[in-house]
Amino acid sequence: MAETLNLDTLSAAQIASGIAAGEFSAAEVADAALAAVEAREPEVQAYLQVTPELTRAAAARVDAARAAGEPLPPLAGVPLAIKDNMNLIGTRTTCASRMLENYESPYTATCVARMLEAGCLPVGKANMDEFAFGSSTESSAFHRTNNPWDTERVPGGSSGGSAAAVAAGEATLALGSDTGGSIRQPASLCGVVGMKPTYGAVSRYGVVAFGSSLDQVGPFGRSVSDVSLAMNALVGAGKDPYDCTSQDCPVDFLEHLNDDIAGRRVGIIPAFMEAEGLMPEVKRAVELAAEKLVDQGAELVEVELPHLDAAIAAYYVIGPAEAFSNLARFDGVRYGYQEPMCATLAEQSSLSRAHGFGQEAKRRQMLGAYLLSSGVYDKYYYAAAKARTLITRDYAAAYQKVDTILMPASPRAAFKFGEISDPTQMYLSDMYTISLNIAGNGGISVPVGLGEDSQLPVAVQLQGPAFRDRDLLMFARAVERGFAGADGAPALSVAPGFAGKGGERA
Amino acid sequence: MKELAEVLKDWEAVIGLEIHTELTTLDTKMFCGCKLSHEDEPNANVCPVCLGLPGALPVPNRQAIRSIVKAGLATNCQIMKHSMFYRKHYFYPDMAKNFQTTQGPIAFCMHGHLDLEVTGRGAAERPACAFGEAEAQSLASASANAVGLSTSMSAQMPEGGTAGAPAHMAGYDTSHLQLAERHDDGSYTVPIRILRIHMEEDAAKMTHLGGEEGRITAAAESLIDYNRCGTPLIELVTEPDLRTPEEARLFMEKLRRIFLTLGISDCSMEHGSMRCDGNVSLRRRGETKLGTKTELKNLNSFKSLHDGLAYEICRQAEVLEEGGIIYQETRHWEPSRKRTVVMRVKETADDYRLFPDPDLAPYDLSDEFVDECRSELPELPDAKRARFEASFGIKRADAEQIAGDPETAAFFEAAAAGLSGKEAQTVANLIVNELVAYLKAAGSSLADSGLTPAQVAALAKLLASDAISSNQAHEVFGLMAESGDDPNKIVDARGMRQVSDTGALQPIVDEVLANCSDQAQQYRDGNQKVIGYLVGQCMKASRGKGNPKLFNELLRAALS
Repeated sequence: MAETLNLDTLSAAQIASGIAAGEFSAAEVADAALAAVEAREPEVQAYLQVTPELTRAAAARVDAARAAGEPLPPLAGVPLAIKDNMNLIGTRTTCASRMLENYESPYTATCVARMLEAGCLPVGKANMDEFAFGSSTESSAFHRTNNPWDTERVPGGSSGGSAAAVAAGEATLALGSDTGGSIRQPASLCGVVGMKPTYGAVSRYGVVAFGSSLDQVGPFGRSVSDVSLAMNALVGAGKDPYDCTSQDCPVDFLEHLNDDIAGRRVGIIPAFMEAEGLMPEVKRAVELAAEKLVDQGAELVEVELPHLDAAIAAYYVIGPAEAFSNLARFDGVRYGYQEPMCATLAEQSSLSRAHGFGQEAKRRQMLGAYLLSSGVYDKYYYAAAKARTLITRDYAAAYQKVDTILMPASPRAAFKFGEISDPTQMYLSDMYTISLNIAGNGGISVPVGLGEDSQLPVAVQLQGPAFRDRDLLMFARAVERGFAGADGAPALSVAPGFAGKGGERA
Repeated sequence: MKELAEVLKDWEAVIGLEIHTELTTLDTKMFCGCKLSHEDEPNANVCPVCLGLPGALPVPNRQAIRSIVKAGLATNCQIMKHSMFYRKHYFYPDMAKNFQTTQGPIAFCMHGHLDLEVTGRGAAERPACAFGEAEAQSLASASANAVGLSTSMSAQMPEGGTAGAPAHMAGYDTSHLQLAERHDDGSYTVPIRILRIHMEEDAAKMTHLGGEEGRITAAAESLIDYNRCGTPLIELVTEPDLRTPEEARLFMEKLRRIFLTLGISDCSMEHGSMRCDGNVSLRRRGETKLGTKTELKNLNSFKSLHDGLAYEICRQAEVLEEGGIIYQETRHWEPSRKRTVVMRVKETADDYRLFPDPDLAPYDLSDEFVDECRSELPELPDAKRARFEASFGIKRADAEQIAGDPETAAFFEAAAAGLSGKEAQTVANLIVNELVAYLKAAGSSLADSGLTPAQVAALAKLLASDAISSNQAHEVFGLMAESGDDPNKIVDARGMRQVSDTGALQPIVDEVLANCSDQAQQYRDGNQKVIGYLVGQCMKASRGKGNPKLFNELLRAALS
């Protein structure tokens, strides 16, 4: 019996090329990935559902294609974790909610379909905050997910399961969704790369909506080049006819990945660096990243986003308003949790919602229902829409001066379970990420090593203009390069507590 | 209760209509690719989008936008280049997402009007006191007090306001709008303003079993058919410019003829593809303040629309005259019992929490698109009616009826082409009388009937030239519809051709007069009526083939 494959040190491209070259089969990759999940999952709990049959079936298709001499797709055999708000036939899509505990996906989301067409092996559906409301994955109705770097700490959220799966080596790539930071913040806390592409770059069809004008799907990976490959798969096929907010923007995200950034301008927002709540170790990490970019010839330029405070206020109007509307459909009539023994339709709907939704989901919907009610609408929603225009203009003005903006992704490293119980304090986890969703631009979180004080992963965030996601990846790669070890490997890989685990001799 | 005519002398009825029309002639639904059909098994035409399943997203149907733009152009509306879809929230299982995708303060079509020509008995419903100065005052105050938008929408949407212009004319091109004036024959023409026509999606069809009167309350089971859910629907809202049930009925009829001609809907009131709700309130003649209105549902035929409004006007008058008050409520017209009953009382305005649908970008219509729609507009019923009157010389009422249905109009034009004025009028008569009755009895459509314009033209020629009688024409019509034969062939085969040759008829007249000397004497003594009997005897003697008109003339000549 051959030694079980160790996927922890392989990039997505190496897995695909290894299979193409016949060094190992996709079936062996599937076995290795499932073995790692089996060994690591009890301590991490990244997944709500692991789907070995789907993993092996996808692997069999890759191996059959190779046997038939067909060209293999670029992500052939790459294990993928899928956030549980994305439909995939053959899996439940629960959104980590009692409301959808037994909901079987009736169709497959475009983003998932595209990753599978690119050859990925679906390992399972990743845990999340209920309906993506949260920054710690603690609001999952089913179980918590532990940060692979310290299992007493949260992985961030809402795509905490996706970030943790990649950080623990339970998947090579993962899909998440980002409404106010739900990819970038958990990526930061788990020490992996997480990208929120420009709004409209990736189809939202089949992704259970939270805030339709804010939501965007994006990839997690352990390196910028893995994330770039995933971006090719998600965006390359062009506009999705099923999502009229999606746009045609096909580019090869690998093409300029390793370009020199000499002479490029990197923006710094001074107010961000002095913000209350920003931990010194994160601040130092951003400063260090800036130095690394300057070392590569970039120029630092100070920029301002004058309406930044309004961005956060606007987010907490637009987000809940859209969430109220999007979640109105969960009434227990045709699917989802249905309260038994109700005498009337009204009673059934209200009790199904009262008992099917968790606290945070109810809080956001109540808030949204209030914000949209007549007499209140003008004061809040209308004002938020105006603020949104201002923020978008602020960014556009800033990008007249710089090519990218460098800032923290999360103000702090991973916190302990239960450490933040006040929802408004929890909302501050997204202080650096929210404004980007308001403007609709792209952003990426890149790990830069362990924090000096916490000895936990810290990261920086890069943001860019709309539909310049390829440039963003180039800057992210420059940061990654700056922090790479002597062998050129990224600053962080699979969390040490899990690396190699389940990869022992069979 | 008093009669309507009596009530309208003292009270002014202020009526506005909300008319929903399903765009049944499209292939697919409003926001997904599901087939539009009234006939398939329940829930056969559904997908994640129209079922509102988690994660599904809407994609607007461009053909539907084309249809509504045409509807707007045909009703003199302004086509708005920038408009948006909104979400209107309410919890009810007929709307899969618990919100309906509709439009906000700016609809695709705004501020149009239709001129209503009210004639004959219908015109008499509007009393003489409702013209001239009184009409101007009434119109101004009605519009100022009542905007057709729901209260929640107008309250929420400041950008929808049109400050500056006089409220009742805000947004309207007033050059076309003239006050109603009564002509000598009692008829009048009145412009009815259209506030807006907006695009939305229809709800699913619910059937409640085991409860009373098909309502959900106390129903044992409620069944939902989502085939209809997501059907493209346009809602037209009039200003409160209508003053009589007859005007409301005529408006609806006129609109139906226009939509049929545009080909955007089958406009079947029976099947619910065209539905009308009426808002009505009363106020004393001369009063400027509007009364409390009620909303009438289930007005699903022209007769129901008229009779329901007429009943409600009389009911309100009775309540008010007895010192009672009208509650703002939704009432259901029961045609079988000829009354309206309360469905629900609106104590507070519903809060639909309207906001722009973030899944659908603001809709920008290009000038080219609107021009393209305009160039595709067919000849509209009013223009067609006028042309039929002018080029074929047919009667106005017939022209109006024929022009109102595009299929019938095309059939008429094909049949009447190249015919004389008399023959064309005969074609019109055959269509209005024989054809309509035949199709109704056969339960068939014109297209399915197999009847050809050439058949009807040939029959008209036979009739116009007195070759056959009207009674024979009726018989031949049925035979040619059944067999598909040429009417000349039928007439010849059955020896029906009417004999109009005086030489052939005179001997029959002489014989009849010889046999009926008593009756002949009666006629000579001044009993004119007996001529009918004598004509009958001649017809009998000629085995139905003689021309009755000629017999009549010959008899009179012989007896004088």
